[in-house]
Amino acid sequence: MDFDFSEDQEALRDAVRRFVDKDYGFERRRGIERAGGFDRGTWEGLAGLGLTALAVPEAHGGLGFGAVEAMVIMEELGRGLVLEPVTQGALIAPAMLSHAPDDLQADWLPRIAGGEALVVLAHQEAKSRYRLNRVTTRAVDGKLTGVKSLVPAGDQADAFIVPARVSGADDDAQGIALYLVERSAAGVHTRAYSLHDGSRAAEVHLDGTPGRLITGPEQGLALLELAADIGIAAQAAEAVGVMEKYLALTVEYLNTRKQFGVVISSFQALRHRTADVKMQLELARSMSYYATLRLGDAPAVRRRALSQAKVQLGHSMRFVGQHCTQMHGGIGVTDEYAGSHYFKRLTVMEMQWGDTMHHLGEVSARMQDTAGVFA
Amino acid sequence: MDLNFTDAELAFRAEVREWVRTHLPAEIAHKVRNALRLTKDDLQRWAKILGAKGWHGWAWPKQFGGPGWNAVQRHLFEEECALACAPRIVPFGPVMVAPVIMAFGTPEQQQRFLPGIMSGEVWWSQGYSEPGSGSDLASLKCRAERQGDKYIVNGQKTWTTLGQYGDWIFCLVRTSTEGKPQTGISFLLIDMKSPGVSVKPIIMLDGEHEVNEVWFDNVEVPAENLIGEENKGWTYAKHLLSHERTNIADVNRAKRELERLKRIAKTEGLMDDQRFRDQIAQCEVDVVALEMMVLRVLSGERTGKQPLDVAGLLKIRGSELQQRYTELMMLAGGPLALPHVYEAMEAGWQGDQWLGGAWIGGATHAMPLTGTYLNVRKTTIYGGSNEVQRNIVAQTVLG
Repeated sequence: MDFDFSEDQEALRDAVRRFVDKDYGFERRRGIERAGGFDRGTWEGLAGLGLTALAVPEAHGGLGFGAVEAMVIMEELGRGLVLEPVTQGALIAPAMLSHAPDDLQADWLPRIAGGEALVVLAHQEAKSRYRLNRVTTRAVDGKLTGVKSLVPAGDQADAFIVPARVSGADDDAQGIALYLVERSAAGVHTRAYSLHDGSRAAEVHLDGTPGRLITGPEQGLALLELAADIGIAAQAAEAVGVMEKYLALTVEYLNTRKQFGVVISSFQALRHRTADVKMQLELARSMSYYATLRLGDAPAVRRRALSQAKVQLGHSMRFVGQHCTQMHGGIGVTDEYAGSHYFKRLTVMEMQWGDTMHHLGEVSARMQDTAGVFA
Repeated sequence: MDLNFTDAELAFRAEVREWVRTHLPAEIAHKVRNALRLTKDDLQRWAKILGAKGWHGWAWPKQFGGPGWNAVQRHLFEEECALACAPRIVPFGPVMVAPVIMAFGTPEQQQRFLPGIMSGEVWWSQGYSEPGSGSDLASLKCRAERQGDKYIVNGQKTWTTLGQYGDWIFCLVRTSTEGKPQTGISFLLIDMKSPGVSVKPIIMLDGEHEVNEVWFDNVEVPAENLIGEENKGWTYAKHLLSHERTNIADVNRAKRELERLKRIAKTEGLMDDQRFRDQIAQCEVDVVALEMMVLRVLSGERTGKQPLDVAGLLKIRGSELQQRYTELMMLAGGPLALPHVYEAMEAGWQGDQWLGGAWIGGATHAMPLTGTYLNVRKTTIYGGSNEVQRNIVAQTVLG
């Protein structure tokens, strides 16, 4: 049992923090947001730091790092509200493609590692909510037809990882395969939009589009569940960064703003609320560690732990977001102030990878007689 | 980063588990498992069993006769005791006064008092709070006047937990009214059999006699019972408060009690009620989050890199969680938890036989649940109320 970071991990943290501070200031981010929420140059900058190579196996030109390194970088990206889809492109895509046939790995993994190729998961469908087994997109003879929603930077990505049904009814756990689909392939149409946090997403229409098989129906859903769990762990770390920075902004504000002739941090109503925010942040950080350290466990243990983490993160993100905004008073609900952007990011994150009620249901369904970290 | 305990730690845990489960009397474990009333004899019997093994002072260093365990080992010991349904070790002797005697007492005081604490023979009580001094403890008034080689103590302490069994009491007393309130306080050890000491019960809202008033009427205390220097008592007491970090969260007990909550819910058919089941699931998440926070602190204590100033956070969260699961237990009992029958807290009570059948369907298991709910309202009040804890946390965040 050890929750310290190694020197290498601390060095990685410093490098990402420097990048965010120097190249991703609030004004720069605002520019990217106005330009649509995705910046290829930033992606290349992140690649230059080695982030896109992080999760790619060494045999394919990557660094082969683990989940803890991913957690470290996500915390730092969260502090800077980085809009580019690092979770999707740098963590989930390599993990999925590592299960693909050799030639597919060789075609894509080195390019992902180098930052030349952005590959994102396209799993959300309009009617699926948070159910990973609900897949209406169909694959017939390797040709995919269906509509995927909310695909991160979906009109900019080079390829998609697409769950598609090869057999069974829309809700069946069986019969889901994963395909790699290039955006330039026949029958692909995308339409982009912004999310409330300023990030970019797109609807992706597939109409008889050819895909290359990553994994067949015997492993499809299991691999998709792993993708979601990687997403939850990465998001938990990112959220810790977002909340830590938003609390820091709030502390600065409370210690500066004067009313009734004194700084408002002298008011106990606000001091206690600050203590409650700190509590939620530390509970979230604890569960972020838990999520990351359980990522390599057997699926039953992993799924339960990641749902537990998402429940805590859901509560924490909402609490910290709402209360830090409240404590700022009027300035907190303006667009010009950075704080509201932290709030919006926290709001959006709850509804990605399953919201709090959804995951509470998962925890409830998976409850054992015992309780605790090692139950 | 690594979530798991080392092989050596796991072997240690197994050894402790084996010993605790072998030596803990079954009838005591039964009472703890079902939250029934523990007698003085139950508590002292377990204390003496631990004392004979040298584990009653489980956090003590070797030089004072303790096992010299590190933070992780101490945690594992506490966890094994909790999961085996051992009674909580009454902290006033081994956890509260002993570290102060070790750090600030004379060698004579150490030789005189520590063995009786370790063995479980001598029952210690705590004399801190006064009627006018709760959260504002430094305002305390209980007075000790030096007369030759004695102190003459006059005043009142209150909320003295299990003081009715006490042999000795460690007190914060006022020895000076000069300067700041904190600077005129001394740390005094008082034999509760001394003439002029009287103990009066305070019956709490659950009908139980757990705490007391302790009155001092011209009580003579030998000056050799003063710990450290006169008027430095506040510093020693603060040292004591900083001593216990993770145990305050009581997360091990929370794990055990959550198992009990599920057993009760199952008995009442509530595990199939999604609304109720989800409330338990939320507690389960809260327990994991609290335990992770505790483990982070333990990890920090081992490496010396403490990432978190947590005592306040752990106290707030642990006490709130304890209140939540006892509330759910009571709600699980529902109407069956409403009768207040004093005997229902005794082991083996089967209820009255009435008209040849068992009273309210024989559902005696649910009766203690409301009492426990009422009892644990104290946890967010004692040990520095949660509002005071929030002040402390806010101080670390806001300055």
